[in-house]
Amino acid sequence: MSGFKRLELAGWQAVILHRPHPSVDALMRQLAMLHIDARLVWPQLDEADAGADVVFFDADSGHDGQFPWTAGLAPMPMIALVGTEAPGRIEWALSQGSTAHLLKPIGSSGAYSALLVAAHSHGVVRRKSDDIRHLEDRLQQRPAVVGAVLRLMQGGERDEAAAMKTLRSIAMTWRMTIEEAAETICRDDAPASRRGA
Amino acid sequence: MSSRVSAIPVTLLFSAAGPYADLGREAVAGALAGIAEINGRADLGVRLRPVLANPKGHDRRYAELAERAIRDGSRHVVGAITSSARKEIVPVVERHDALLWYAFPYEGYEASEHALYFGACPNQHLLPLFDYLLPRYGAKPFVVGSNYIWGWEIARIARELVEAKGGALLGDRYLPLGHTACGHLIAEIRQERPDFILSNLVGESLHAFLRAYHALGLEDDAFRPENRPVVSCNATDCDLTVLGRAADGHITTSTYLDALDTAGNQAFKGRMAERLGDGKAISSCFAAAYSAVLVLGTAIAEAGGDDPALVREIVTSRRFETPLGDLSVDPRTHHAGLTPHLARAGADGRFHLLEDTAGRGTGPVAADPYLAGAAARAALTPRSAAQAQPASLARGLRVVK
Repeated sequence: MSGFKRLELAGWQAVILHRPHPSVDALMRQLAMLHIDARLVWPQLDEADAGADVVFFDADSGHDGQFPWTAGLAPMPMIALVGTEAPGRIEWALSQGSTAHLLKPIGSSGAYSALLVAAHSHGVVRRKSDDIRHLEDRLQQRPAVVGAVLRLMQGGERDEAAAMKTLRSIAMTWRMTIEEAAETICRDDAPASRRGA
Repeated sequence: MSSRVSAIPVTLLFSAAGPYADLGREAVAGALAGIAEINGRADLGVRLRPVLANPKGHDRRYAELAERAIRDGSRHVVGAITSSARKEIVPVVERHDALLWYAFPYEGYEASEHALYFGACPNQHLLPLFDYLLPRYGAKPFVVGSNYIWGWEIARIARELVEAKGGALLGDRYLPLGHTACGHLIAEIRQERPDFILSNLVGESLHAFLRAYHALGLEDDAFRPENRPVVSCNATDCDLTVLGRAADGHITTSTYLDALDTAGNQAFKGRMAERLGDGKAISSCFAAAYSAVLVLGTAIAEAGGDDPALVREIVTSRRFETPLGDLSVDPRTHHAGLTPHLARAGADGRFHLLEDTAGRGTGPVAADPYLAGAAARAALTPRSAAQAQPASLARGLRVVK
């Protein structure tokens, strides 16, 4: 058995973007059992809804203009409420960033597992996006690394490998990434106390 | 209702053969006793006709037999012991707008509108059990279980509960249903020396394990039940009947115990002794199936027919006097509010209430099948070690024999 930790959902705020419907009533009953506060909204979300912990949305009659954020960049897990399984509708639901769905008509089960799946996937996507942004930043700093290596060679390092080794060592001493240390060297603004790595 | 209605079929879908047949037979006996009682009450003016269906422990047969029962006219199915069997029946009753009456402890995370749950879910069995055990024995148990959803999920919740108290599971091991070779479990427990053993084993596997653990205790005092008990949420009086002294000293939690000293239970036991005539202890399995049928028959009488929607509405809107207590079924969860009792098996082959649990929290506990309520959240939230109670309280344990 893994050490899987159950997600604590009690106290979450859910927004359901859907017209009043028996399926929505059934979903509300499921959420109440999980101690999740749910609010029904139609025809569109506004800025205040961006604070919700999760959004359930109608995949059958929904459209891009209903959300106050760029499609696919919702700040919370999105769960599609799917009635028609037409590929066009599923494609649209995916484009909104939904990572889980509930099939209509909704009965007395499904919401709990959809919440766990959506929250997990949302977390994974977020972490990966952060990693990608971080790597992109580092890529952008590559010219600074080249500049710092050249500067260290001018300062007496015998070759590129030795200069790179010194740069790594400086970055470790300054507790920065190599790219940040390189930029500092290029700007030539390292404090005296940081010199001497 | 003044006139007698024609006999209403009620299907009893339990395995009277297979790896947990003892439990199935007890449940059938309880349900039949409940039907006899309903039929004997002139004031109700209702007659139930039991239809027996025996899947013999094969999960797939549960769905087939439920389909056939509903096709043949039953709109109410009382049945299933294991969760894997219940999961086969639920889609069938949902598809046909019928109603499943389930009366065995289970792992929660379900609340079908086409089922009524008279068995305890974890906040009514495992949470009160661990609430009692952890301060007394410690928070490092070993878990053994049958290899299906019941064993897996109860182990997972147990892990969450002990980790919240700064403890840990020293191991979790599983046996396929019906398997009885457990030497490797005993060897591992001997090596790990856990504070106690939580058993989620069912039927013959439970019996084999308890016999092997009893033998270990005879060889090494450290594994006698007063030092390292085996505890369970699903051991019943009918397991004790099979096990005899091998179960002596182990602990269970149950929403019904033959030993309950209440006027209602004495009267119930008196009626059952008359019916069964064998002087055996009444098992929780028997009492729960009996209680479910009692509620079913009373609700059908009140509804004037067996329409499942109407029956469900009546069941979830009033109280029913049963051997499980003064029952109400929550309309939001379709689960009964139940009173968890803690008991220790005696040398006489019967469960005896733990004296130091008497009087505390004796009222019914509302079911919280998704462990989302405040009490469950408090039990599952990690507390600092300073707040945890010491295991030394174990010395204060007293048992009524």
